[in-house]
Amino acid sequence: MIRSVSSILNHKKVVPFVFLLPFLIIFLVFKVYPVILAVLMSFQNFQGLQNQQWVGLTNYQNVFRLVRFSQALTNTTVYTVGTLLVLIPLPLILAVLLNSRRVFQSTLFRTLLFLPALTSLVVAGTVFRLILAENGFLNLFLSSTFGIQPPPRWLEVADLALPSLILVATWRWTGINILYFNSGLVNIPRELYEAAIIDGASPFQMFWRITLPLLRPTTLFVVVLSIIGGYQVFVEPFILYRGGGGPGDGGLTMALLIYRTAFTSSNFGTAAAMGVILAAIIFVFSLIQFRFFGVFSKED
Amino acid sequence: MAERTLDAIQVRAERRQRRRIPFDKILLTLFFVIMAIGFVFPLYWMVISSLRPGGRIFVDAFELFPSQLSLDSYHSLFTEEPFGRWIINSILQTGGFALTALFLSTTAGYALAKFKFRGRNLLFTLIIVSQMIPFHLLIVSLFLMIIQLGLVENYFGAIIPIAASPIGLFFVRQYMLSIDDEMLNAARVDGANEYQIFFSIVLPNARPAIATLFILFSLEYWNNLLWPLIVFRQADNMPLAVGINRLINQYQQSYDLVMAGSTLATLPIIILFLFLRRQVMEGIAATGTGMK
Repeated sequence: MIRSVSSILNHKKVVPFVFLLPFLIIFLVFKVYPVILAVLMSFQNFQGLQNQQWVGLTNYQNVFRLVRFSQALTNTTVYTVGTLLVLIPLPLILAVLLNSRRVFQSTLFRTLLFLPALTSLVVAGTVFRLILAENGFLNLFLSSTFGIQPPPRWLEVADLALPSLILVATWRWTGINILYFNSGLVNIPRELYEAAIIDGASPFQMFWRITLPLLRPTTLFVVVLSIIGGYQVFVEPFILYRGGGGPGDGGLTMALLIYRTAFTSSNFGTAAAMGVILAAIIFVFSLIQFRFFGVFSKED
Repeated sequence: MAERTLDAIQVRAERRQRRRIPFDKILLTLFFVIMAIGFVFPLYWMVISSLRPGGRIFVDAFELFPSQLSLDSYHSLFTEEPFGRWIINSILQTGGFALTALFLSTTAGYALAKFKFRGRNLLFTLIIVSQMIPFHLLIVSLFLMIIQLGLVENYFGAIIPIAASPIGLFFVRQYMLSIDDEMLNAARVDGANEYQIFFSIVLPNARPAIATLFILFSLEYWNNLLWPLIVFRQADNMPLAVGINRLINQYQQSYDLVMAGSTLATLPIIILFLFLRRQVMEGIAATGTGMK
């Protein structure tokens, strides 16, 4: 008996499935099944956790009629575009400079700029709640150095919510994006630059004609990653505005709205419908990624 | 004679160049010093604010180096809130998560890297594509599931549902592709069974990938808020990230307490990072994800 079990377990066709099984079970039970369940829930109305009935597309109609939803969608889109405008050019230029052999101790600087990425987003949120407070350090700095009076109330004005969130994102993600750009940069052959120098190219020309074109795959990769991450932004506004959407819902994001709809309003069907819409948006951007990179060639 | 002049000219040119380069090098380095100060400052501010006496956080905000130091906030963290429990919870949950996720990704990554079977590529594609499913689509249904399974307030409920990591699997698979098949076949010829081969040949050979992944998984769970926030509502069961979120709501005006908690959650990570810098930075660049 024992012999036959072990011979089955060692059979050429069985072995890979034994190794796959643990991952596959967890994957099917806690990823595939909940996705299906969430889609089903988006067509249901919940009275408490047990009591649900089918309501067709009602949840979706409600979602699109919701003023807060369109505001969350707009906020999230503006936030995502804002992070792209900062978190692509800034890390790209910093990475190029750090890779140019014209900076002493470039590894040290790469490490220091990376440090914020080690903090949890919760901590990033708490620290910036303190720094952005009305009488916090940033305003002291702005008023004493640049004479800005009265200092902006970063956390209390609706229009300043997204800039504040983008500031936190810049602090938290610049170092990581530098790493991505750096791994793209080290793959550009040095000979190209040597040849360009012989041809009398200026550093600026080399950046436009060699670095940028050859860095295109990395740049696109970081762009898509930032879009997908941007649309899912949750913890930063959740902490900065203590679980709410901030003043006038100026910091209300899609993910935050889903969380509040589910766990504050217990509106599970509507939350699921919002989740499906968010997934659809991210799906479209991911398709663009796969179109550009192929599914598996993430790094080249 | 002519040669010597040429040499002299060259030496002088080189010397001039050597003297010239440092100037823009120094300027650029200075620029990065300022950048680095800007990026490290919030962390410094966190530590310093946690050491200021409670009421002085904003009053003394212009003292870059505080004149009065106090450990009161740390003291009240441990006396007024179960902060010690949060640390222990975080360590246990992080360890449990990292080991579970590691076990799942190494076994499945091995199967996908070293065996040929029907549907392999389709399966791999599906797993990778699932990476783009936003977690917020799942929170509602996962929440209902762990209620039905009785896993609320439970370590397993916090760990298992998020333990199958497509990125971890991708990373292990890529690494294991480079393990020599000859070596595995030789062991088979010698009579080793498949599981002996996995544990005594494959795993030791994949040690660098496993170490990197263990660090990245640990960092991921330690810093994670959303899922533990849903699983744990009782203060005694919370990991640090959820506990700090509780502090923010509990002590809205006591920034010193929140900063002390944030400092204690962050400093150990930074200290560990200084020893594992290469692995963390190269690992993150290779997996292509900022761990959230």
